[in-house]
Amino acid sequence: MAITSIKNLKEFSTNNDRFEGAHLLCPGCAHSMIVRELMNCTDDNLVIASNTGCLEVSTAVYPYTSWDTSWIHIGFENAATAVTGAEAMYKARKKKGTLKDPDAPVKFVAFGGDGSTYDIGFQWLSGAVERGHDFTYVCLDNENYANTGGQRSSATPIGAHTSTAQAGSASYGKKQKKKDLVAIMAAHGAPYVAQLAPNKWKSMAKGFQKALETEGPCFINTVSACTTEWKFDPKDTIHLTDLATDSLMFPVYEIIDGHELNILYRPKNVIKVEDYLGAQGRYRHLFKPENKHVIERIQKDIDENWAMLQRREEARI
Amino acid sequence: MSTGSALASNKRGIRELGAEEMVGWDEVQQGVVLPSFEGDAAGIVNMHAEERNYADFNSYTATVASWRVIKPVYNRDICIDCQNCWVWCPDTSIISRDKQMLGIDYDHCKGCGVCVEVCPTNPKSLLMFNEAEENDEALAGWPQKEKKAK
Amino acid sequence: MAKEFELNEVEVWDGNYAASQALRQAQIDVVAAYPITPSTPIVEGYGAYVANGYVDGEFVMVESEHAAMSGCVGAAAAGGRVATATSSQGFALMSEVLYQASGMRLPIVLTVVNRALASPLNVRGDHSDMYMGRDSGWIQIDAFDAQEAYDLPLCAFRIGENHAVRLPVMVHQDGFTTSHKAQNVYPLKDAIAYKFVGDFVPVDEMLDFTRPVTHGAQTEEDWHYEHKAKQHKALMDSPAVIDEVFADFKELTGREYKRVESYMMEDAEVALVLLGSSVHTAVLAAKQLREEEGIKVGVVAPRCFRPFPYDLIRDALDKPSLKAVCCMDKSSPGGAMGALFNEVSAAAYSTNARPMMTNYIYGLGGRDFSVDEAKRIMKEQKAHADAGHITTNIQQFSGLRGPKLGFYEIRRS
Repeated sequence: MAITSIKNLKEFSTNNDRFEGAHLLCPGCAHSMIVRELMNCTDDNLVIASNTGCLEVSTAVYPYTSWDTSWIHIGFENAATAVTGAEAMYKARKKKGTLKDPDAPVKFVAFGGDGSTYDIGFQWLSGAVERGHDFTYVCLDNENYANTGGQRSSATPIGAHTSTAQAGSASYGKKQKKKDLVAIMAAHGAPYVAQLAPNKWKSMAKGFQKALETEGPCFINTVSACTTEWKFDPKDTIHLTDLATDSLMFPVYEIIDGHELNILYRPKNVIKVEDYLGAQGRYRHLFKPENKHVIERIQKDIDENWAMLQRREEARI
Repeated sequence: MSTGSALASNKRGIRELGAEEMVGWDEVQQGVVLPSFEGDAAGIVNMHAEERNYADFNSYTATVASWRVIKPVYNRDICIDCQNCWVWCPDTSIISRDKQMLGIDYDHCKGCGVCVEVCPTNPKSLLMFNEAEENDEALAGWPQKEKKAK
Repeated sequence: MAKEFELNEVEVWDGNYAASQALRQAQIDVVAAYPITPSTPIVEGYGAYVANGYVDGEFVMVESEHAAMSGCVGAAAAGGRVATATSSQGFALMSEVLYQASGMRLPIVLTVVNRALASPLNVRGDHSDMYMGRDSGWIQIDAFDAQEAYDLPLCAFRIGENHAVRLPVMVHQDGFTTSHKAQNVYPLKDAIAYKFVGDFVPVDEMLDFTRPVTHGAQTEEDWHYEHKAKQHKALMDSPAVIDEVFADFKELTGREYKRVESYMMEDAEVALVLLGSSVHTAVLAAKQLREEEGIKVGVVAPRCFRPFPYDLIRDALDKPSLKAVCCMDKSSPGGAMGALFNEVSAAAYSTNARPMMTNYIYGLGGRDFSVDEAKRIMKEQKAHADAGHITTNIQQFSGLRGPKLGFYEIRRS
């Protein structure tokens, strides 16, 4: 694989973008930061599939495409299957000698939001990973169905306000914890699984390159701060993501072959989750006296999760 | 819409979204398939945008400049070419060539302001201004270095 | 290279095995599939060819029928020959993707072994799944027996992959009555079958990196209508290619297929219109009635269910002698007349003969349709013809226990 240099940002910036502007994503959307970075990690040809969602409806609205590579969208749930169908076709045609350029290196990648990854497309993702296709699935996790106006998904954290799990006089927002999809995908035995964040561009680029280089199915969850539904100023996307990783709400780590866990970012100064929650409109109600217990619960969950990750890293299990 | 920033190819941002010709059923693309380029595009990964032969279907040929109410202005004199703005721009609108920041693609910039926030220099090499303000005026009134609060 | 499969001049195959042999001979690049009764043996048969070196392509066993068709779409967009098989609930589960496959103009072949749709759950053959696909934008071709279940998939690849068509094609056969009934089948040698199907020639393939393409873009009110009209035009124009492929197949094998099969219609006074394995039952009944009672009965069977052959149905029914036609629908109509009744009536309205039109629902969930019952219905049509008006409800139910059930009456006298 022709990986590009990520030694430093200057080197990295010499790559020629294959994700074009004038897409319709919101100003300040982290989705395109993540997608651009993945596409800039390699010079190989890419076959990309996207589930229905913010990324898809913003980058392929007839008569425009923002993709300089082969790209396919079928439905909300089946990007993993679409791209692995293409991967199967690649193998068949390579064997039969019907490819136009059989030596051209190619990587297969699927993108989905958390709604299509954690919820409606979960079975398709699980099946594609179980079958062992050589592809990388990247979830752009903004913790809600942002494309349809911010409904809850199983990736929405406890306490967040969404339009279908609202905060009100009788509710503190979503009642259930976020699904631990990274652990679930690692349990599939996928050779490379990671949770990455765009503010830590280098660890994200390294993770993407590892996934693209690794033969077999790889899964990466990326935190994608959503200015519209998390309710913060578009200019603050990276700042907000810093708060997410520094509060350990989004720990950055990888799991190799289902057991070798490596923490990829250890904040020098771990901040209280209050600082992260307080920077977003979707958690504003948690600062009312009657909801303080939810913040305490979230902090407790974070602390326990971080302790667990560190124990797993040490124990290699 | 282009305000003459560096390296605009002749097809960049030539149309407002929605201003394209509304052809009839007999002329739309079979299967809704959109080719991204004209001609052989095998080498595009080694080509800068201005060297590529974009198809009219590529959103590179469209502009979203009208989305913007505020815009980033770039001050070359202060920039250290760290490329923070390049890596985090969500709209592929920071034009960098050979490790140097050259300017802003105003056809595709939506004015989110992320580039300004991630700019590490003091004073910043990128600042947001009202869309109507001339870049020259903005540069003329650029703030001085701020002393860090102790 | 895949091994050649030694075949006898005549084999005893059921419909499923016949279809699986046709798929093998087409040298498909990717089969993405999921098992379901009664089409499972197609997938199992194909799996056996894979395991024994008779297939070079990829065989991807996915986790659901929705994923099967999704994998087919992804594979087809990557520029190769693609097929799968399903039935009933599996067909229903993949229905979302059926519309996407046709809208994306991807020539996938789907062998459908027709089976009832739940609820109540039922594994037997009726046409509920086939009818469910009728607005999906696919070409739908119906095999009435095992020989046809072998022949028609070979034709289907040629039709769908033709660059003037570029549409997915379903080849239907009846669950159990065709799929599990062993019959004499005359197969082609591997090389001859493949030569007939021909090499796949890609269009807008995702694996041509000199020309990156975006598949599956969104269209809203400014563009969606034009795309759907263009797609419909391709489907409505496809009969030219279907007829041409059937003509080539006749030249190769001597077996003739038409978009509408007609039996004894030249002098018919009454006729039955129906699909699937029941066609053979109806033809036998018609022959017997002609001999036994001198009633001039004919049978019309749309081989091509989509695009609906209005032209050839009109031609088949436009006989001065024709007085009464009964359309038989093997699918629960869900609050309407049967689909075949509605469509055949539309075609009949544009004839000079304008026969009286009635509708029978029959055979749901695998209920047997006998020669005697076919004769009874034919004689009822003769009674309409003799009376000069329809003497029953327009819609009735054949072979149903309990009080007589019927709906809608004619006002015309």
